[in-house]
Amino acid sequence: MSSKLAILFVAGVAALVAQDMPLDNSVKINLPPDSPLTLISANLGESHVSRRGSAIVLDLDVSLTLHNSSPNRVRGVTLLVAAQEFTPGGKASVSVPSLDVAPSQNFPVRINLRLLRPAQMGAGPLVQVNLDGVLFQDYSFYGPNRLDSRRSMTAWEMEAQRDRKYFKSVLTARGLDGLKQSMIEALNRQAERPRLDVQVSRGRAVGSAAAPEHNAKFAFLRFPDAPVEPVEGWAEIAGNEARNPRIDVRNLSGKQVRYVEIDWIVNDRQGQRFMAGSVPASGPEFNLKAGGTSRVVQDTSLRLSKEGGGPVSIAGMTGFVGQVEFADGKVWIPNREALASAQLLGILEPSPEEQRLIDLYRKKGPKALADELNKF
Amino acid sequence: MMHPSESQLALYAGQDLGRFATWRIARHLDHCLECRIAMRAFQHVSEELAAWNDVPPVAWNRLATEMQANIRLGLAAGECVRAADAQPFAWISAARTLAVCASVIALVAAGLFLQRPAPAPRAIATGNAVLRATANGIELNQDGQTLSLLHVHSTQVSYSAGAQGSMRAGYVDSDTGNVTINDVYVQ
Repeated sequence: MSSKLAILFVAGVAALVAQDMPLDNSVKINLPPDSPLTLISANLGESHVSRRGSAIVLDLDVSLTLHNSSPNRVRGVTLLVAAQEFTPGGKASVSVPSLDVAPSQNFPVRINLRLLRPAQMGAGPLVQVNLDGVLFQDYSFYGPNRLDSRRSMTAWEMEAQRDRKYFKSVLTARGLDGLKQSMIEALNRQAERPRLDVQVSRGRAVGSAAAPEHNAKFAFLRFPDAPVEPVEGWAEIAGNEARNPRIDVRNLSGKQVRYVEIDWIVNDRQGQRFMAGSVPASGPEFNLKAGGTSRVVQDTSLRLSKEGGGPVSIAGMTGFVGQVEFADGKVWIPNREALASAQLLGILEPSPEEQRLIDLYRKKGPKALADELNKF
Repeated sequence: MMHPSESQLALYAGQDLGRFATWRIARHLDHCLECRIAMRAFQHVSEELAAWNDVPPVAWNRLATEMQANIRLGLAAGECVRAADAQPFAWISAARTLAVCASVIALVAAGLFLQRPAPAPRAIATGNAVLRATANGIELNQDGQTLSLLHVHSTQVSYSAGAQGSMRAGYVDSDTGNVTINDVYVQ
């Protein structure tokens, strides 16, 4: 009798504990057979799964070690991490730009995020990690590119080259002291960059502001070498909410363009400028032939509040072309001088490479940073 | 130039220094950018700590009462088992076994009630989903329910919103030293 009671008790305890358990064998890493990367190890760390009503919450703390089995140096990797793809919170991606992985070298990738999936979904792994793309030193690319990671990683690599070139020129012209000074300036920009609490939603936001709504016109910054120029644009403004941006753009180049991204800055009534987000246009419906015009439209709402403070009362908006991808896969980004002269360096987030170099300087000092810059 | 120590800057950032020391360090900070940056880093850390303390409210009294009830049930079940071992009469044993089973079922039921999920099932149903970037990470809000999707333990995180319905966080991973960029999507 006592053994039956023990079984009952253990079953009861197991029912309680089963609500939060490790994710062993429930994460599947899928690398295609012809992939230039191979999986050396996958450590699930503190990953665990818990149940919240009809949903399963997956906390991922995964460390992957990947091997570059290609003959090229790897510059970036993007992984698609999905528990389910069609409802909010079910899908995310992890990108690692600014890499410099030689052939036959191993490198780590950390996946540290949380996903949701319905509890009633069928059998199989709870989380699938798929390779979306690998970018190489010569800008060649491998992968299904479902997340448009080819363009993102190409742009990050171009930004990396641009920013390394800038800091290297400082090192050449002004030595270690000059490099240190430019890093302090970058740190100071980072510390003083106005930060916003941004909410983004498709369509009209839940509980939209009751403030009166009006159509506001964008002011545009134009860069001399930009292949695309913004012509005119509007968004609906209501209090601290900006909705449905519509921007007409003209292709000044002689090549077809398949992607344009307009960066979106708002200013409040005190004249302070904040980076609100980016408005991308791509897909089959977006067609920007050489010399042609097209419209960038997003059915979306951005609600902006000051970090830890009240709402931002939007008084004006500025846009500029932040990225262009041509039909042949080549990418254009603004140069550093243009960003500096438009006083955008203090508003835009630093590029991933600038973040990495700043971190290297903070942790190891100017000499280590100079050595790193001289590697390229 | 004599720089203040890290501990002095940390105390200054937390407004834990005396008046004279505060005045002295404030004067130094006016002229020293490096110390100002270090002091701001301490301020970021203390803001983060404050955020970590901001845990969701828990009904501790209710929780304590339910836990006590469960413990009492468990003890009662244990007493029954010991008593059943010592009981020579079969009919008494059967009655007590029933009582023990009922107690264990009550224990499991109470436990399940206690562990019942937070009301989030509609978080993955239909409705207007909102992604929100805050100082602490990226949250998903749907139908009044909030779930943190990404919590980055770094003060140097850059967030950007994509009007197509995504939120991006970029930071240097402290373990790998690599820049890591996470994108989460409204859909």
